[in-house]
Amino acid sequence: MKNRPVKVILWALFLGVLVFYPSLFGLYFTNIFVIFSIYALYATTFNYLLGYTGLLSFGHAMFFGIGGYGTAIALERIQGLPLLPAIIIGALAAVMLALILCPLLVRVSGTAFAMLTLAFGQLMHVLALKLRWLTGGEDGVGGFPIPPFHIPGVISLDITDPKKFYYFAMVVLALSMWVIWFFTKTPFGSIQTGIRDNPRRVEYLGFKLPHTKAVVFIISGGFAGVAGSIYALFQNLISADDAFGIGNSFAPIIMTVVGGIESFFGPIFGSAILSFIDELTSRYTERVEIVTGLILILVIMFAPKGFSGFLRFMRGKWLSPPNANPALEETK
Amino acid sequence: MNLLEIRGLYHDFSGLQVLFDVNLEVKEGERHAIIGPNGAGKTTLFNVITGSYRPPRGQIIFKGNDITGCKPHQLARLGIGRSFQITSSFSKLTAFQNIRMGILSKKGIRFNLVRNVDKMKEVTAETDEMLRRINLETEREIPAELLSYGKHRSLEVAMALSTEPELVMLDEPTAGMSKEETHYAIELIRRLTEGRTMLIIEHDMDVVFSLADRITVLHLGRVLATGSPQEIRENQQVKDAYLGETED
Amino acid sequence: MESDTVLYISQAMHGLAYGMVLFLVSAGLTLIFGMMGILNIAHASFFMLGAYFCYQVLSMTGNFWVSLIVAPVIVGLLGVLCERYLLRKLHAYGHVGELLLTVGIGMVILGSVKIFWGTESLPVTVPQILKGLVKLGGLEYPIYRLFIIALALVILAIMGLILYKTRLGMIVRGAVSDAEMVNALGINVPAVFMFVFGFGTWLAGVGGVAVAPILTVYPGLSDQVGMDAFVVVVTAGFGSLKGAFIVSIIFGLLSSFGVQFVPKLAPVLMFGFMAIVLALKPAGIFGETE
Repeated sequence: MKNRPVKVILWALFLGVLVFYPSLFGLYFTNIFVIFSIYALYATTFNYLLGYTGLLSFGHAMFFGIGGYGTAIALERIQGLPLLPAIIIGALAAVMLALILCPLLVRVSGTAFAMLTLAFGQLMHVLALKLRWLTGGEDGVGGFPIPPFHIPGVISLDITDPKKFYYFAMVVLALSMWVIWFFTKTPFGSIQTGIRDNPRRVEYLGFKLPHTKAVVFIISGGFAGVAGSIYALFQNLISADDAFGIGNSFAPIIMTVVGGIESFFGPIFGSAILSFIDELTSRYTERVEIVTGLILILVIMFAPKGFSGFLRFMRGKWLSPPNANPALEETK
Repeated sequence: MNLLEIRGLYHDFSGLQVLFDVNLEVKEGERHAIIGPNGAGKTTLFNVITGSYRPPRGQIIFKGNDITGCKPHQLARLGIGRSFQITSSFSKLTAFQNIRMGILSKKGIRFNLVRNVDKMKEVTAETDEMLRRINLETEREIPAELLSYGKHRSLEVAMALSTEPELVMLDEPTAGMSKEETHYAIELIRRLTEGRTMLIIEHDMDVVFSLADRITVLHLGRVLATGSPQEIRENQQVKDAYLGETED
Repeated sequence: MESDTVLYISQAMHGLAYGMVLFLVSAGLTLIFGMMGILNIAHASFFMLGAYFCYQVLSMTGNFWVSLIVAPVIVGLLGVLCERYLLRKLHAYGHVGELLLTVGIGMVILGSVKIFWGTESLPVTVPQILKGLVKLGGLEYPIYRLFIIALALVILAIMGLILYKTRLGMIVRGAVSDAEMVNALGINVPAVFMFVFGFGTWLAGVGGVAVAPILTVYPGLSDQVGMDAFVVVVTAGFGSLKGAFIVSIIFGLLSSFGVQFVPKLAPVLMFGFMAIVLALKPAGIFGETE
């Protein structure tokens, strides 16, 4: 890799900005950044399905939601539960849900997969509204105790302080994203992209399609659960409409499309762009959905590769000789 | 010894009979060609053998085991590799990544989530070796969909071989090629399948007669004749039913 | 007459009426899917637009019958425009791209509705003749529900006539079962697609007008009924009109009797039914397995 030093400098710069961000921009923008990061992870798990495996989920909010509820209910019901186990409970709840749905969902693909995930997403929404004894109905679960992030002898961080929460959330979210990124680089990740391009051929090469899809689905769901769990901790509240609403299933779709399906960082760009647009438009109007809807339509019609496609195009134009191979970006 | 044996195989598509009582023996180490006019059921026969469809009647025996009704991935693991008439690669992945998929399968690497695949030296070396053998080294990093037609077809065949199957099944590997490209492709296939058992569907008679050890003629879903190229050439039935038609 | 029987019958009427509305909406959805392979996420939004246009036309003309005719036609025309200028021009990502595009269209419709009509519930009153109850064989029926059922049956009859008695219908049926055939016959596919999309959204519009007087007109309408319609299509099997009809009625009855007997579980019943069906037959009751 010839431009390794450039890369290292860029990453160091990025890390530096991350560390000093709260001091530089203040509380308001720190909180916006936390929400952006939560959605960046959430959208990344979505794109792990769509961009890397070709599976379009229309009910991804069910994993986000169950992760949030899992953590919230655990903290509410179990006295003195430490923080990390609470997050793990959220993630495991999402993994369980994925496991239950697997036998049904791995048999289908394309539109049928989208429909089924949509329907099950709605089912989860209805359940969250109706199982009042567990979920608190429309009010959701809120005001649960938030334990400090505590590892004996190493660290103890009171994350009810927004600034400390920021650092805690950044570590968990960045770590999760890194793990997913690493997964895409493994042999399994390469089989996954094979499924996206040509599921039939994958079978004829000796891979068991349903099992492979199931593992992808579980990983994606589990990490979406982590995103939901951090979200619940951040708000100290998780409610049915917020977590399981159809809008929350559409959010990662829009972010991924706007940011670029064919790139790992696309959903992260998308999350940033939409947070930005949200922040801007919500100052002038309450009708944010019309703006995001229009953006979605425009991107799909005129720039299907999204923002990262645009970046690649610019880089190809100015920085290096014409790059004949866009797919290379995936592997390098 | 027979590597593959098909006994009394029938198949139909919602009532439309496509294969009637097909019997076929593929000996270990031989190059066996299946020929026949369009609609003879050649590709259907391939699809039934490789597990796309479950036949209503008949038996498929591979290495002495009944494999009738096995799923495609099971058959691939048992040692049957196939190519497709219509190129069926991973279009967005590079030539290298396409081949690597087969290498991973051969090595039984299916759920590895802990290693960077680019750093698996053996896998990379074997993949590069295969690319070298099909003269695609310079196209290593080019997505399959951007390869020239001939190279794409080579890749298709190489993918079938990448799992090192005992039985290689090639479905019209030279379909759509010019005379020169066909010639080149056949040499390539001859070289790559050295010492392997091969079942091939082929349209070009020159190719068939120069390449195959034995030939089976399929006509309207039935086996018309099986024999050496010499025998097939002289078979009156075959001449009437098939060879006569394509003489143009 | 025993009071139980009266109760059952009135619940059945409610269920049937709701089932018919579901059918109007899901028929359009399944027709568009079967013909074009597009899962129109915006379908529920078109349905909602029908209800809003009904309100608008009614407040302008004061005549429910006019809005019953006009509102769905406007919705259908909007559908045609979406097909002609958006969906048809889209080439990226195949069906997934189309799906995402309809998500965008749905969001824009929802946003626009909120801008034009606000977020409050709007009342729609029915003409005098459709109000109140009618006595039949000693039982009283709410006239408007009967009207909905009759309306849906009339539309079903018209659909049947078009599908089974005209050349266009033959093409549509052929295309639903085998898209290749249409190409083979050299039919003007774009025109047929545009017609089907327009017709499908028109049906959604009719459904919207029909429910406007019984449910209030508000921006959550699309989620409420739209989602039920999606579940109908999934359960019945993509592209099956017959299935959509049968499942719509089952779901209509399920929801009205569910509310009566197991009020807590009522909203989950439909999904439970769907889950069981899919577990047994992933392609839906009338769907063809790949």
